[in-house]
Amino acid sequence: MKIGPLNIPIKEDFSIKSLLNFEKTPANMLIAVLTLSFLAMFVVGIATYLIHGHHAYNVTREHPWGLLIAVYIFFVVSSTGFCIVGSLGDVFGFKDYMMISKRAIFGSIVTILAGFAVIAFEIGHPVTMLIYNVLSPGLTSAIWWMGTLYGVYLTFMIIEFYFLLNNDMKKAKIFGLSGLLVGLAAHSNLGSVFGFLNARPISNGVFYPTYFILTAFITGIFLSFIVMGFRYKLDFNAQTKKMLEGLAKIQGLLISILIFFVTWKMLTDIYGGMPNRAEVAEHIFHSWTFWAEVILAMAIPLVVILTTMGKKPVLMFWVSLSGMVGVFFMRYNLVHDTQLKPLQMLKTTEYQLAPEWIHYFPSTTEMFISLGGLGLCIAMYYVGTKVFNLDEEHH
Amino acid sequence: MARYGMALDYKSCINCKACEVACKEENGILMGADKHRIWVGNGEIEGQYPLLDITSNAFYPSQCQHCDEAPCEEVCPTHATYYTEDGIVRVDPEKCILCSYCMNACPYDARYVDDRTVTVDKCTFCADTRLARGETTTACQNTCPTKVRIFGDLDDPNSEISEVLRTREHFSLKANLGTKPKLFYLT
Ligand code: SF4
Ligand code: SF4
Ligand code: SF4
Repeated sequence: MKIGPLNIPIKEDFSIKSLLNFEKTPANMLIAVLTLSFLAMFVVGIATYLIHGHHAYNVTREHPWGLLIAVYIFFVVSSTGFCIVGSLGDVFGFKDYMMISKRAIFGSIVTILAGFAVIAFEIGHPVTMLIYNVLSPGLTSAIWWMGTLYGVYLTFMIIEFYFLLNNDMKKAKIFGLSGLLVGLAAHSNLGSVFGFLNARPISNGVFYPTYFILTAFITGIFLSFIVMGFRYKLDFNAQTKKMLEGLAKIQGLLISILIFFVTWKMLTDIYGGMPNRAEVAEHIFHSWTFWAEVILAMAIPLVVILTTMGKKPVLMFWVSLSGMVGVFFMRYNLVHDTQLKPLQMLKTTEYQLAPEWIHYFPSTTEMFISLGGLGLCIAMYYVGTKVFNLDEEHH
Repeated sequence: MARYGMALDYKSCINCKACEVACKEENGILMGADKHRIWVGNGEIEGQYPLLDITSNAFYPSQCQHCDEAPCEEVCPTHATYYTEDGIVRVDPEKCILCSYCMNACPYDARYVDDRTVTVDKCTFCADTRLARGETTTACQNTCPTKVRIFGDLDDPNSEISEVLRTREHFSLKANLGTKPKLFYLT
């Protein structure tokens, strides 16, 4: 270990050259090429956005929130998830999970940064936001609370990571706990961005604020399998296996609770018969994206966990990858489904039919920026593994 | 201070859309079907010929309701959306960050993005144009051939709108949401 600027311990062998130094296996090369192309797409996407503004997106008056909002949520949910998993060891003192704390907290930092990078190109005036968030805060706005709390959360996560690197467990714990609490508050506020909408009965209510915390934990565990899989090249040692088995079992419980939640949401929505909610829920039930979410993020992982009792970490790695695709659909559905039902049900222009459902499909620019966010996330994480020692240190 | 509202004798509406044109002209609204502060909702005729239900084919002229409990104001993170002293709900383009939260929160689809300022815009009761010049009518009201709209001060018991709301039955759109609209539909 050598000591970098600001007393930050960095890896002995870190140099610009060591960044390019990775095992040239076909899988690694593929990931490298994909990451670089995602980053290139990010640049192209941003350039298109800067020239055409929101016209480069397929968002409309009736569907003002598009893919980028969903991807932002995807990243910040990932961040909160990483933070929860990271806290198991270093805040709550579960010894088995200590080994992933530093990696998870670092993961929570890169994912939220990727989220911020994406949302910066969805919010029309991000600089104005920074100014007027402070000068004239809208305290009744869930977006204000969400944004502000996430800012504080990121600060705490960075400080916690700093103390983890320095092995100052006591201070890491203090900032870890504060970060976790602020993160959970921020995250449930993100759910309430939807929960407060009384114009949208399908989203209105307590469901999303609580569901967001549950799905964050689930996402965090999927991501833990993925980062640990890469760390050990799918060849886990006994200690890691034990930890992953524990995580898989927790995951089994969480997914069961999630299925219970989602089933009852669907049942009460559809059979509750409330106008503007029942028919929307039925429409969602018949959409393939809903089933993508159910199969990839709930059914497959649960079946695998129950049949293997969580003892097959390699299989869980693959399941977690597909689980994250399911989580993506979860976020996309949440944003799209909220806006499915037109607020104006009468026809307002001649020679057209009255609107029935609002249609939306992301534009190429939106997809480029979203994939760019993913590229950014992978790249930042990769650099982190080269610069910092993300493994647990033994004394 | 006044508390502005508008009553609509909507059954007189003939769907000529003169109000849509007048609003664009007076307030310099950009062209394009999506860029509108005001619209006429059009019920489809129901039933099989010859038993057509002509009452289903009613016209519902509408615009921002200037809600007393406006969801758009509540959700705005920077107070870009605010109430004026006259009870008008307005957007300050200086402060609007175009998060589009208000567009999602407004139950009436009354908001759109103005491409010039790249911020959200909506009906202002002509506050920057006609009211600023000291006139007492709005453009949509003034142009209407069947005189659907009555605009005025709800706090002044002698105003025409107060008089008409006292003497005629009326309803508000989506009143169940508790937004307390200041657009009143006369029956
Ligand atoms: S109608 Fe919509 S835009 Fe107008 S005040 Fe009410 S919520 Fe706001
Ligand atoms: S788009 Fe503008 S006016 Fe609407 S909520 Fe956001 S900041 Fe406020
Ligand atoms: S009151 Fe003025 S701004 Fe509002 S719809 Fe009528 S003409 Fe347009």
